[in-house]
Amino acid sequence: MNAQRAFMVWTVLGLAALAVFVASLALGSIAVSPLRVMQALASRSTDVIDEIVLSLRLPRALGGFAAGALLGMAGALLQVLLRNPLAEPYVLGVSGGAAAFALAAMLFSLSWWSVDVAAFAGAFLSILLVLGLARRELWRGEPQDTSPRLLLTGAVIAAGWGALITLMLAVAPESRLRGMVFWLTGDLNGVSMPWTALIALVIALIAIVPAAPQLNILLRGDVAAEALGVRVVQLRVRVYLVASLAAAAAVTTAGTIGFIGLVVPHVLRLAFGNDQRMLLPASALAGGLAVMGADLIARTVIAPAQLPVGVITALIGVPVFLWMLLRRAP
Amino acid sequence: MIGLQITQLTLRAGTRAATRVLVADLTQSFAPGEMWCVAGPNGAGKTTLIAAMAGVSKTASNAISLDGRALSAWGASELARRRALMPQATHDAFSATVLDTVMLNRFPHLTGWGWESDADRAAAHAALDMLGLAEFASRDVLSLSGGERQRVALAATLCQNAPLLLLDEPLAHLDVHHQIDCLEALRGWVGSKQRSVIFSCHDLNLARRFATHALLLDGAGHTHAGPVRDVLTPERAGAAFGYPLTLIQQDGHEALVPVMRSTSP
Repeated sequence: MNAQRAFMVWTVLGLAALAVFVASLALGSIAVSPLRVMQALASRSTDVIDEIVLSLRLPRALGGFAAGALLGMAGALLQVLLRNPLAEPYVLGVSGGAAAFALAAMLFSLSWWSVDVAAFAGAFLSILLVLGLARRELWRGEPQDTSPRLLLTGAVIAAGWGALITLMLAVAPESRLRGMVFWLTGDLNGVSMPWTALIALVIALIAIVPAAPQLNILLRGDVAAEALGVRVVQLRVRVYLVASLAAAAAVTTAGTIGFIGLVVPHVLRLAFGNDQRMLLPASALAGGLAVMGADLIARTVIAPAQLPVGVITALIGVPVFLWMLLRRAP
Repeated sequence: MIGLQITQLTLRAGTRAATRVLVADLTQSFAPGEMWCVAGPNGAGKTTLIAAMAGVSKTASNAISLDGRALSAWGASELARRRALMPQATHDAFSATVLDTVMLNRFPHLTGWGWESDADRAAAHAALDMLGLAEFASRDVLSLSGGERQRVALAATLCQNAPLLLLDEPLAHLDVHHQIDCLEALRGWVGSKQRSVIFSCHDLNLARRFATHALLLDGAGHTHAGPVRDVLTPERAGAAFGYPLTLIQQDGHEALVPVMRSTSP
């Protein structure tokens, strides 16, 4: 991997994301030509088509891109931090905390914005919980290979949230159940303010992409990384915080869309190699592209009814990933 | 002074409740041009000592100095250009080519946006050539055998281009032919230049043949240091390992071998 090759990967993924973005604005119950989409974006007129494109489809497409990008990047980061190919953004309990709090807000039928606030609060609480319990693993003065304990701490906390979620689903009245299940599978319906997630994405990329060369080395082991001049403890805390907060922002925006954080980094690794300098921005682009595309399918395939986007990401992601994995088998 | 200097270093193992002294009050200097073997029984503290010499252990960094400056006073990447550490184990969780894996050790030399230059690539190829790994460059590290992986790790350490190499069991998993090839490559690398190698090793005979000096740990805090043939003697090594050894000689070759036990228990 060198800089030219990485730029090529980013350019191709960026153009593909742009194409899906335009398609997301153009397609739906009323099909609009791409040219008309450009007009709607450029002008400030207010006919019905402008209204559909700008206030229904645009926030949804941007929200989907931001959530997918955050999940893709968080997945790539946690796979490095835990040195475990099975890691994904939800493995340390961030989504569990968010879901438990969001469902509680829905159970008490609080307003939509308090569901968002509750989701982020739950995710944040879960992050603090893992930080507190695994502090010796994350903050140990001397570098040791500690990942299994951090992973187990997070996984057990995630299991605890899972039990709470099941409990709430069990006691929830029929009328609310559908909304709660949609939230759990991931749903972009009703995303009205994608800007917070987009800002979170930019901040997360700025915070972690410069550390990509160090992350390549961290994969070789803590002692090896320390000996090469990487401050392992600080780096580990930084990676954990960026990945968890990115996952929290994504879950708050779009619910727990599954599979993106696990599969997108792996597909890119299989295709282009495991260089974090290329992989982190590429995971963001490809994750955004995947969620935007899946949401386009989710809302058009049986229109006017809509499917939860998380169902589509899993239905398409599973066979694609298995094909890529087994094609490479010796 | 140039080189590594240890002054009154004490290393302990274990938790606060039950500590064991590995190395007590060690004072020793390691000069350029020397090739040191650190020997001792399992759990004697070889890895701990080598990590301490690399400056990875913060508590020991005041007692160890490099080129007259305490390790704790070195900047992280400046130190990484002066000494390289090969840990006993490295992780390969994801597939990557051998060349990319080796090139990771160019990190202390990277500038700008953190991408390798042609010079870094050339250094990685040179290190692979030196260990006879040239045709492995594009192989996947996950497809390598244990011994091949070990040689790749050694190539990575060499391509860091640091004048002091600290190698923790570099010969583990290697067959006798590759053990000798690696030791010859290291001896050539030290050459007449201002370089030195400190490695831990369980093969006392290879150590006697290739090392210039040896540091023998007995796991109870005692250490012996000096020219290899004065330290790795049947008496001293036998006492440190807790098993009687004898030196046999034939046709100009000599070998330390464990004494036969006369009767079965």
